[in-house]
Amino acid sequence: MNLFEYVADRWGSLSLQGLLHASAVVQCTIIAAVIGVLVGIAVYRSPLGSALATALASAILTVPSFALIGLLIPILGLGVEPSVTALVLYGLLPIVRNTIVGLGGVDPSITDAAKGIGMSRLGVLSRVELRLAWPAILAGMRVATQLMMGILAIAAYAKGPGLGSEIFSGLVRAGSANSLNQALAGTLGVVILALLLDGIYALIGRYTTSRGIRG
Amino acid sequence: MSAFTAESGSRSAERGRLFAQPVAVLLIVAAVLVWAFTTDLDTVEQESINASSILTYTWQHLVLSVVITILVLVIALPLGVMLTRRWAKPAAPVFLAIANIGQAAPAVGVLVLFFLWTGLEGVAAAAPPIAFYALLPVLRNTIVGIQQVDPALVDAGRGIGMSSGAVLRRIELPLAIPLILAGLRTSLVLAVGTATLAQFVNGGGLGEMIDTGYKLDRVSVLTVGAVLAVALALLVDWLGAVAERYFGPKGIG
Repeated sequence: MNLFEYVADRWGSLSLQGLLHASAVVQCTIIAAVIGVLVGIAVYRSPLGSALATALASAILTVPSFALIGLLIPILGLGVEPSVTALVLYGLLPIVRNTIVGLGGVDPSITDAAKGIGMSRLGVLSRVELRLAWPAILAGMRVATQLMMGILAIAAYAKGPGLGSEIFSGLVRAGSANSLNQALAGTLGVVILALLLDGIYALIGRYTTSRGIRG
Repeated sequence: MSAFTAESGSRSAERGRLFAQPVAVLLIVAAVLVWAFTTDLDTVEQESINASSILTYTWQHLVLSVVITILVLVIALPLGVMLTRRWAKPAAPVFLAIANIGQAAPAVGVLVLFFLWTGLEGVAAAAPPIAFYALLPVLRNTIVGIQQVDPALVDAGRGIGMSSGAVLRRIELPLAIPLILAGLRTSLVLAVGTATLAQFVNGGGLGEMIDTGYKLDRVSVLTVGAVLAVALALLVDWLGAVAERYFGPKGIG
């Protein structure tokens, strides 16, 4: 059986795993974005807070994903919980970093003008600063998504959802008829999904960037 | 795609890590080792948690990481330099695109595929795919680092009669070193981290302790392996930061 026949034969389960993979990554990106943007908003005005938040988040990214997932197993058990926790933790750095950079890069004269016409602090943040920082935040989410695609494949070790399980069962069945096809289908599936989501990000960026700063 | 950099992008954050990171690493390792050696271990745990096996696993991990680093340097540096030469410039985007897609592939998938394809085992099966995976930061930063050298400096070098090789050696490479070192730091962290997966293809290393602990349901073994792997990655990252700080050329930065 070659790869195409294999994929056609197992299309049902492969497409389901692919869907689970993409959906888990997208959901974790959203969770990481909510947490990351809140952290970014909390610290971006204080240089010390920004330094602390980025240092901590980049230390997390240094942690080997297999080690983190291993450490989460005794605490959170198997399946969805350790996978989601690991993905969200790894997604934080690019989002926190870009939120701080994006919010810090807003021209003070613009926020001054917004305050001058009577906008509240919250109004300035939600209607001026966050909108101007959005392209940077979105770029951070894009990077986070790409990172998570690969890490979720490792999370299959802890019985996480997605295409990683194809890779691992290909490994376990090494030597048997379809082991190579199975690992190949899992790996290529992740690559295709990663490229697909990257394209979607480009589209989202095009349509959600404030008209004034659209290139 | 700056996806895989652990760089925090802030100078003061980097400075803080320079001091806090090694201290934190030492404290964590000490705490875990003290905990592991003072609790009552059953015979299964004693198999893995003893000085000689821990040293063996750590040693395997280091050897594998060194082999990967050598592969990355031997492949990515010359390739990066070559792709900035005038005759090869059109090929640069092609190589970068291939490397980008390669990195979008999950590390565990690349590792398993290489193992299934070649039938190799151990370090020979683990090092090449992990090196392929960890190579992009050095490749990209070498290309960008050389490209961003002021063309006027290259012209000046040529003008005083330097050969193109001399310009590369004495002007372009020294000026590109800060970026190359930054890329190397990212690659090293990736290599040490991904080396935890080597045990899937019988490559040994600290990942094996994690796997043993998981399969035999011994949290202590899993924890010691994972914490040591984390500590090693943080230590390598710290060494990279120190190297960036002290081995960069003095004239710039």
